Amino acid sequence: MVVGFAIVAAWELVTAIGVVAFRKPMYNALSLVANMLGLAVLFLMLNAQFLFAAQIIVYAGAVMVLFVFIIALMNPQADISFRPGGTEWIYGVVFGVVFAALLAALLFNHGLTGRPGAFTPEVIAAAGNVQTIGIALYTRFLFPVEVTSVLLLVAAVGAVYLAMRRIR
Amino acid sequence: MPVPAYSFLLLSGAIFTLGAIGFMVRRNPLVVFMCIELMLNAVNLAFATMSRYLNSLDGVVFAFLVITVAAAEVVVGIAIIVQVYRAGRQMDVDELDLMKE
Repeated sequence: MVVGFAIVAAWELVTAIGVVAFRKPMYNALSLVANMLGLAVLFLMLNAQFLFAAQIIVYAGAVMVLFVFIIALMNPQADISFRPGGTEWIYGVVFGVVFAALLAALLFNHGLTGRPGAFTPEVIAAAGNVQTIGIALYTRFLFPVEVTSVLLLVAAVGAVYLAMRRIR
Repeated sequence: MPVPAYSFLLLSGAIFTLGAIGFMVRRNPLVVFMCIELMLNAVNLAFATMSRYLNSLDGVVFAFLVITVAAAEVVVGIAIIVQVYRAGRQMDVDELDLMKE
């Protein structure tokens, strides 16, 4: 388990660096696909099988296919991301180090607290993972689910409107 | 529990930081979007971790909602990027300042 986590964590870090550092957008997109598949494996390790399936279907499937299609359609120039002699990387790395140090300090100085719930892995395994989450989604979280469905509808209408409209 | 929660959360923080760096450094709007997706994924990992280690379902449900909202956001964002591309403007977030005028 620990060895598996170490392998997947290294995979995640390498592909995340690939998303940020590759020059061509297509390589960025493929790194992101690899990153999302690794994240799905991490969800499986965390006993979240439903999230594992949703991650692969929605992210690695739908969202990234959209990205790859748009990149293939637009064929953006590779050199757009780096000015010759640009100094963005220095600022970015300095920001990253400070931000990561703040996050780690927050995590280790305050510890993890929280009230444990009733859904131990045994309880979830007895009822089934998807069944448990489905019951929670449609009872306790019914209002957020409905609001999200409205959001999806609005996004679809907005995308169609933007696709039909010609801007000068 | 073999793997401590801290290691998952530290990995989540590292991925989030990489996404934030890319968000600020890259200038292609598509790659900027990908970095936003990276950050959302890192947050989902933190949600799933806390959900697992607190024996609660709230984190998983919240991560599911985050996935849905991210899908909607990507659809609208890419539609806008395609419109900008169709208008023949340069694909560079530093040059896109039409709203300023």
